[in-house]
Amino acid sequence: MSLIEIKDLKVHYPIRSGFWNRVTDSVKAVDGITFNIEAGETYGLVGESGSGKSTTGKSVVGLEKVTSGSILYQGKDITQRRNRQLLDYNRDVQMIFQDSLSSLNPRKRIEDIIAEPLRNFEHLTKDQEKLRVLQLLDIVGLDADALYKYPHQFSGGQRQRIGVARAVATNPKLIIADEPVSALDLSVQAQVLNFMKKIQRGFGISYLFISHDLGVVRHMCTNIAIMNRGRLVEVGTRDDIYNHPLHIYTKRLLAAIPDVNVSERAAHRAMRQRVEQIYQSQQHDYYDESGEAYPLVQVSPTHSVALPPKLAQQLLVQESEAQD
Amino acid sequence: MAENFAQHSSISAADLDRLTREAQAEATPSTARIIWNEFKADRPALISLFVVVGFILFVMVGALFINTPKMMETNIVDYFNRPLTAGFPLGADAGGRSILLQLIVGSRNSIGIALGLTIISSTFGICWGLISGYFSGYVDWGMQRVYDFMMMLPMTMMIIVLVTIIPHYNAVTLTLIFSIFYWEGTSRLIRSRTLAESGKDYAAASLTSGTNRWKIIFRDIMPNISSLIIVDTTLSFAENIGVETGLSYLGFGLPSQTPSLGTMIANANDPNNITQYWWTWLPAALEIIILCLAISYIGQVLRRAADASQRQGTTD
Repeated sequence: MSLIEIKDLKVHYPIRSGFWNRVTDSVKAVDGITFNIEAGETYGLVGESGSGKSTTGKSVVGLEKVTSGSILYQGKDITQRRNRQLLDYNRDVQMIFQDSLSSLNPRKRIEDIIAEPLRNFEHLTKDQEKLRVLQLLDIVGLDADALYKYPHQFSGGQRQRIGVARAVATNPKLIIADEPVSALDLSVQAQVLNFMKKIQRGFGISYLFISHDLGVVRHMCTNIAIMNRGRLVEVGTRDDIYNHPLHIYTKRLLAAIPDVNVSERAAHRAMRQRVEQIYQSQQHDYYDESGEAYPLVQVSPTHSVALPPKLAQQLLVQESEAQD
Repeated sequence: MAENFAQHSSISAADLDRLTREAQAEATPSTARIIWNEFKADRPALISLFVVVGFILFVMVGALFINTPKMMETNIVDYFNRPLTAGFPLGADAGGRSILLQLIVGSRNSIGIALGLTIISSTFGICWGLISGYFSGYVDWGMQRVYDFMMMLPMTMMIIVLVTIIPHYNAVTLTLIFSIFYWEGTSRLIRSRTLAESGKDYAAASLTSGTNRWKIIFRDIMPNISSLIIVDTTLSFAENIGVETGLSYLGFGLPSQTPSLGTMIANANDPNNITQYWWTWLPAALEIIILCLAISYIGQVLRRAADASQRQGTTD
């Protein structure tokens, strides 16, 4: 059984207009997505800004009101607030935020920030609590003298590690990492990601890793879902997505990964332009009349793509021929 | 589970004391320390602080030793005694009553009302704004309609009517009447900042850490808008001295047998007093100007202390 099962999740925001301010339309931020996260794995959720990946993450951790669909954890639908309270859900599912500065309360000392989930979910004595906070700081590589400082006294990478320490404090089973490193520079990104991997190995945590950076996702994730316009367009293992992409949007995303090899600059540029040309000319084949992605069809045990079944088969054959 | 953490960290209970001491040596100074440093860096504000605190203490204690009914008795012999005459350091008014003693008791009454009014109306306004701003939706809608209704009432006229129809009122009832009408501005100000703060990630992070919503409002969001609260409260204290004074001046504040800064300034209603008997109203007017100025200096320092980027004091 999966750790968490997301079934046909929809988050729609109403648009009100007119004299009576009635609901006339809705923004479909997340429009019917389904996936499971297994214990101990890192599940990547990739997409451009506005594709609904952060909204999905917030729904899973219980910060977003869900329009319809369900999120099952230990057999209970946690989209209901009562079930979340009943299970002490947030003890097991925590979140790392993108903006490390605004996610730490500027008026609280680091000790109080990291101890906050401990105080709510585990009733430790003062000494036990302080010891746990010191151990957490040690695990994320910060000195003990951080204890009585304020968030603004730390650098971006240190702050993000404090965010990681807070998320790990109650020894959760799943952490939603909402673009945890996209606000950091590259050297610090690697540092924070390595801490996250180290902690995962040590504590057996699952991550739902939300990112638009395919390079980072490749480093972190075993299973990946590509999200576009509120729907999943392609789901598969790391190998499926990076080596056998089928959906035109996935190919376009992969073409956008920057390459530092200067000698092949012209070739990369030509390749990117070719992919973009194909995207512009064949776009209508991959989305239905209203511009939305098709339902997912399975093309291999691990690989699904949002296409009409016929087109999917055709592409799969093409793809395997190209490999041979 | 505790073993799990111990496994991945070299820190054990034996290190706790040593590490705590190390951390305390590196600790950021406390808020009180920062405020004091800020006062030390700004001389006018430091003087203002001593003046305001000293003056309030002086009138509060001094008024205890003054027999008010006896002081307010009319004594025709001392009619408009000039200042610096025997027994009248600041002169006397038309009833032969000592201006100095009236000033002390009057200040006590006016400042007391202003303090009470500030505490009651700011507390209520802050809570109203915080709750309305954080919960949004229907709660916010309902609370803001109540606010709109209160704003619609003509405030000064309502107070005058209430004061007229209540037969026996004193400083306490007057404070309560004022409080009904003076929380709105604060509440709207606080609500707008709460809307901005509650959208920030740290409020969401507290929620996922399992913190109760009420605790988030008063322990997470309120400290973050404390600079706004402090500035608004100090300024409204200065303003509230004016509220009672203004109404007493119009004749609807405290009863005439109870001296206050307003009733003393009301002496200036008479053109004779303005030109010839200046000592009847000038001390009270000067006192209000100095108090309000000093309070706004203090407010500035508190605002700077609350905002790390504006600080002038050294953090040692």
